[in-house]
This record gives sequence, C-alpha cells and structure tokens, in this order.
Amino acid sequence: MTTNERAALAKTNRINYLFDFYAPLLTDKQRTFLTYYFHDDFSLGEISAEFAISRQAVYEHLKRAEQALEGYERKLGLLGRHETMRALIGELDALVGELPGQGEPGSRLRALSARLRMAEGLASPEAPARQGIQEVKRDGI
Amino acid sequence: MAVRIRLKRIGAHKSPFYRVVVSDSRSPRDGRFIEEIGTYNPITQPAQVNINEEKALQWLQNGAQASDTVRNLLSKAGVLAKFHELKHQK
Repeated sequence: MTTNERAALAKTNRINYLFDFYAPLLTDKQRTFLTYYFHDDFSLGEISAEFAISRQAVYEHLKRAEQALEGYERKLGLLGRHETMRALIGELDALVGELPGQGEPGSRLRALSARLRMAEGLASPEAPARQGIQEVKRDGI
Repeated sequence: MAVRIRLKRIGAHKSPFYRVVVSDSRSPRDGRFIEEIGTYNPITQPAQVNINEEKALQWLQNGAQASDTVRNLLSKAGVLAKFHELKHQK
C-alpha cells in the first residue's frame, strides 16, 4: 500500500465526517464538489469533464472547501467532541456488557446509553447493517 | 469506456458506511453502478472491510481502474497482491 493510498482513505474519512457536521455552512458549489470527490470517489478528471472546467479549477475548489471545513472544526470542534462522546459511550457499553443481562442497573444503564446515542445523533451499534436488522425482524414475525 | 472501482458513501448522517462499487466512469453520480463488490465500515475498531475477492480480481483483470481509496482497501484485503501474482504468472 502506498502512502498516497493510505492518505487518500484517511482523508476521505476525515472530510466526510467534517462534511456531516458543517455542510450547511458551505456554499452550494463547495458541497457539490466535495460530494463528487469524497462521497462518490470521482477523480479530478471526471469532475472536470462533468462540469466542463479545468482539473486545476476543480482542485482549487476542493482545496478551499477542505480548508473551510478544517477552519470550522478549529473554531467549533464539533467533530472532536463527537469522537470523544462516541468513545465514552463505547466504554459505557463495554461496562454495561459485563453486568448481568437482566435486572435493574443493567437495563437502566442500557437505556441511558441508548439515550446518549440518540442525543449524539449516533445510530445504535448494529445500525450500519440496517438491512440485516430488518431481515431479522421479518424472520421474528 | 473506462470502468472504475470506487467507494460510494451510504449510511446515515454521522454514521458513515461505504460500498465498493464497479461503475462506468461516465455514469452519473446518482446513477446505477454495474456491481457491488464489497463494503467498508470505518466506524468499527478496526475498520471492517468486506471484499468479494473473486469479483474484484475479475474486474481488475478486465482492466477496471480502482481509485486510490479503493486500492487501499484492496491491498488491505490482500486482493492487489493476488492480482499482481496472477499478472506475472502469465
């Protein structure tokens, strides 16, 4: 794996996370280019062909949009805070997991963890496999 | 027409989840893709990568171009190493 590829994936993750928090503060154009490049993994060449502008122009737009996102994070720190909260909720869940499955403290702490997740805008731990969960439910019925 | 292998972000707000898809380089952003060959979940520690190796190799051998991000995932999953092996066998 080249460092270039490793950096590309890390950057995609980072920018997409920042985008989740600060997208409403960007201009339409910035949102469009970031979505093409980081959500859908289009290359500079493909984007420049799509919008009939030069690769260099696409690159400049992206660069400026990334700088805007990092600037908002420096000032507001929402992503950093979110990551801290996610780690803490994870620790809470691990501790709750050690408690007996039924009974007062366990179930109340589990409910609290679920409320924290919701307050933080986090899906439940199994959420990425949402389709899987739906299927399980169907089987259950 | 070039065929590309790229990541496509799906998943909810603040819960990123990606598909590894094969698509035509000129198909529109929201348009269909040719085939899904894997998934990438960056939230779990360590991140979870699922790649259908057989299909990935098949596409690479047919000349599909993987993006940098996908190349990263493919080499993590050991698919690129296999691809190079197969290429040098010939």
